[in-house]
Amino acid sequence: MFKSLIDDNEKRSQLSIMAQYLNTSFMISTIENEYLVNIEKGVVKNVEEGPFVMPSYVFKLTAPKNEWIKFLQHIPEPGSHDIIAMLRRKVLKFEGDLHPLMSHLLYFKLLLASLRPAESKNEN
Amino acid sequence: MKIEKEPISGQYGKFKIDGIDYRIYWEEAGQGIPLVCLHTAGSDGRQYRALLNDKKILEKFRVIVFDMPWHGKSSPPENAKVGNYKLSTDFYISQIMSFINGLELVKPVVMGCSIGGRIILHLAINFPDKFRALIGLQSAGHLDPYYDISWLHRQDVHGGEVCGGIAYGLMAPTSPKSDKFETMWHYMQGGPGIFKGDLFFYKFDGNIGNEIKKIDNSKCPIYLLTGEYDYSATPEETKSLADTIGIEMIKMKNVGHFPMSENPKEFLKYLHPVLNKIS
Repeated sequence: MFKSLIDDNEKRSQLSIMAQYLNTSFMISTIENEYLVNIEKGVVKNVEEGPFVMPSYVFKLTAPKNEWIKFLQHIPEPGSHDIIAMLRRKVLKFEGDLHPLMSHLLYFKLLLASLRPAESKNEN
Repeated sequence: MKIEKEPISGQYGKFKIDGIDYRIYWEEAGQGIPLVCLHTAGSDGRQYRALLNDKKILEKFRVIVFDMPWHGKSSPPENAKVGNYKLSTDFYISQIMSFINGLELVKPVVMGCSIGGRIILHLAINFPDKFRALIGLQSAGHLDPYYDISWLHRQDVHGGEVCGGIAYGLMAPTSPKSDKFETMWHYMQGGPGIFKGDLFFYKFDGNIGNEIKKIDNSKCPIYLLTGEYDYSATPEETKSLADTIGIEMIKMKNVGHFPMSENPKEFLKYLHPVLNKIS
């Protein structure tokens, strides 16, 4: 589900300028599966799909798979269009050291949104 | 080179608010019924740029938008210090009333968004006879914190980056890219701790409980409009507020928390009929 974060994508390559000093690893959980994402200088260098025995990461985003599917729609419904919106609905949990996430909040939002299918002409 | 000039003029003035002098900046355009517009937490009056340029509205309304103290081009007070800004309900009411009295506006319409959408409820409770009408955008009676707002002012996190990131998500994915960017940019330009200081009002001091029942729509008409993509003040929360007051709310499609700024074209479709009723 999140493996393609590693794929070449024009939007993602443009994002690295927003996180050029960011080196971190974070986990995305769909409850059923886990994805360990490694970022170096704002570029996704590796995405590993679980299960893991002793994964090491800085922070973790957990939401049920159906919620991630709603988030990843071309034009998501209200309440599923943003990770803080999901936090507000208590369907997404932020855990761990949140400093890399909160100091690069827009970067992470756009990084995850880059997985949405071809976006509308108006959409960021 | 010929430039396209806008009908907006800007001015500074000194206003006494709770006994202290504040240098306030405001912009205005149009003539007729005064329409004072209140910007959201952590932003400034540029959010109303489309209203200040809307010919239809300017024919009947004198649209006036001020930057709150510490915001936009308005100054902090004398002896201000970084980190000690905290918006209280009383101070917010005082600045609005000082501004209205200072400009000698008689029975203006006041329209506010987010924190502005909250304070119009306080105005309706306390001074219903002072206003021709009140318009709340993204109004809710109270808001329980749903994220840790201390992230908005930490020396190890760039305030502009995090405040912009928060504001970005509150907008609809369908809003025009350039208007979304400008709306976010205003947040990126706020001073350290100002957005967080405003949220003290929005999430704590300005919460209204049963007092909502004191609002009498017959004394001062109230209009409530909320964008469907807002997860801060949701349409459901505005609906509950409207039900308590005994009025209808207007749910706006394809907009989020900043209707007048993130998607003015869509917003004005909803606002024009409201202003027609008021005029």
